[in-house]
Amino acid sequence: MNPVLVLGGGPAGLSAAAELASLGAPALLVEKENYLGGNPKRWHYSLLAPDLKPAEEVLGELLRKVEGNPRVETRLETTVTQVEPAGKGFRVSLRTRETLETREVGACILATGFDHFDSRRKYEYGYGRYPDVLDFKELEGMIHDDRILRPSDGAVPKRIAWILCVGSRDLQVGNTWCCRMGCAVSIKQAVEIRQKHPEIDAYVYYMDIRTYGLWEDLYWKSMQQYGVKFIRGRIGQITMAEGGKRLVATGEDTILSRPTEVPFDMIVLASGMEPGHGTQEAAKLFHLPVGPEGFLTPKVADINPVDSGIPGLYLAGAATGPKAIPDSVTEGMGAALRAFQYARD
Amino acid sequence: MSVVAHLPHRTLSLADEEASSPPAMELTGRRRMSAAERSLAETIYQEFRADPRHEEFVLGCLNCGECTTGCPAARFYDFSPREMLQIAANGDATTLWDALQEKIWSCCQCYTCNMRCRFGNDIAGIISVMRELSVRHGVESTRRTLAPFGRSLTLLMTVGTQVSSDMIQPDFFRDWGPFATGSDKAWDVSPEIMRKAIPIDVLQTTRSAWEVSVQTSLELFRIYEETGVLDMLRGLDPDLTEMLVDIIEERREEFREARETHRARLETMRGPVATFQG
Ligand code: SF4
Ligand code: SF4
Ligand code: SF4
Repeated sequence: MNPVLVLGGGPAGLSAAAELASLGAPALLVEKENYLGGNPKRWHYSLLAPDLKPAEEVLGELLRKVEGNPRVETRLETTVTQVEPAGKGFRVSLRTRETLETREVGACILATGFDHFDSRRKYEYGYGRYPDVLDFKELEGMIHDDRILRPSDGAVPKRIAWILCVGSRDLQVGNTWCCRMGCAVSIKQAVEIRQKHPEIDAYVYYMDIRTYGLWEDLYWKSMQQYGVKFIRGRIGQITMAEGGKRLVATGEDTILSRPTEVPFDMIVLASGMEPGHGTQEAAKLFHLPVGPEGFLTPKVADINPVDSGIPGLYLAGAATGPKAIPDSVTEGMGAALRAFQYARD
Repeated sequence: MSVVAHLPHRTLSLADEEASSPPAMELTGRRRMSAAERSLAETIYQEFRADPRHEEFVLGCLNCGECTTGCPAARFYDFSPREMLQIAANGDATTLWDALQEKIWSCCQCYTCNMRCRFGNDIAGIISVMRELSVRHGVESTRRTLAPFGRSLTLLMTVGTQVSSDMIQPDFFRDWGPFATGSDKAWDVSPEIMRKAIPIDVLQTTRSAWEVSVQTSLELFRIYEETGVLDMLRGLDPDLTEMLVDIIEERREEFREARETHRARLETMRGPVATFQG
């Protein structure tokens, strides 16, 4: 049996490769970066919402199933540059910086994932200009190392704000969708910081809190046990005050119906999810249709979210839309099963 | 003293109070409406919802408040564009009526809210639709709100401009322009200086901006007549309207005389000529 190509080594791709191996099928796992683990690894995610389980633990489990598994052939720093039909499957060109190689595969799984929204595009928040305005993926790294310090002067912040939906639910940047995880991750970060440093005040500016399903528990606890404060309204601009020493967030408190202007030591932006570069490339490579949002679209999303509509080609994870890690892992399994069935007979 | 203190406030006569039907709004703390007000409010509401611009301008709202964040009026008044949009989208006849009383006049039509809105609403536009209805129906509070602006209105209607070019000086508009935005000092301007930005006592003004040709003035007024603006104004302020009509009639007469003189002069030189019939 020819191997099944799994494109992308994030949670969905790892899960797919691990599942194929457990079914007894060979998997060819191709990742463009020089590590496995995708965005969670890249940005050093700390604890994962909602169970506050360390990301390393969750990823570690997936990685253990893949790394050193004789059925999984892993190719790092490799991209697929060409693809054509070959029998029932595909012939793909794998390119590294030095080499170009052609392989035949029985089926393909696209687990090309997402990119975080580039917060510089919301210029009114001054991200990239004001050092103390952080993207929440950067804060993940700080929390992970337990070094919550203001980038500008290394001081311990007294008051931190989170702004939700940055680059999401926003017609002006063209991203009208919800990122699904920004609320939960921000609240989780606030909780983590309050747990370790109760002297730091945490404010979350929100339009709606979308800790859907069982995640809602995190939201409740954040108020009840950790005293995280929630203010309804999206900050409209961040400026500098006190001679450039402190950030000021301006917005409307839409519950009290009055403008607010609050100084903060650090402001964290919950940047949304966009179709990743790899996902866009994959769409071109396989001539796949994309939705109005730019994500790949399953043929019949509600019945079979992993079928692309092209025989032998399957989709998994955030390539088809914003997704949390457990959902990506589930889809990886589903895609693996479908690919296995297809490539086997 | 804030400008809002100069705005007229609603007063209610005892007769009004007695004539009003059951106190539907009592629990909300709002004052009762008379039967006449209630019926006018309903008419305005129906017209508002039927206006094709409503559908075009009001799309939906996330209640994010970003429109209010950038709104200069929200800084000074009990006013927010988000509230106006909410009233436009979800309000009823009574809430719309309430907004017409004073709030819609707080907006300075700078369109910042539109620029900020993440949903693509035309908030400034829908506010101006509310104003238009309010003027068209001669809402009493509108009459009083606009009363102090008779001078501005007269200039707008007769010469088409209210501010002359040399009024636009940085010193008079300290809260405007590139040096004000983004600075936390933007709103630290003393009330005296802010006051200067309101060209009521027209400091250092040349009169040239208001010296338009008679013909321009007449064409402008013809537009106001043809488009129904003059009728709208008549409903609101009949006295001012009559005064304007007088001014324009005088100018028309002036123009006719000048034309006759001119024609006569031309005819003595080269026979009969056709002229503009303004
Ligand atoms: S999950 Fe929360 S932060 Fe993300 S777009 Fe939805 S509402 Fe906004
Ligand atoms: S147009 Fe009116 S409502 Fe909108 S920002 Fe300007 S003053 Fe505020
Ligand atoms: S900016 Fe738009 S979406 Fe946000 S509150 Fe204002 S009207 Fe609603």
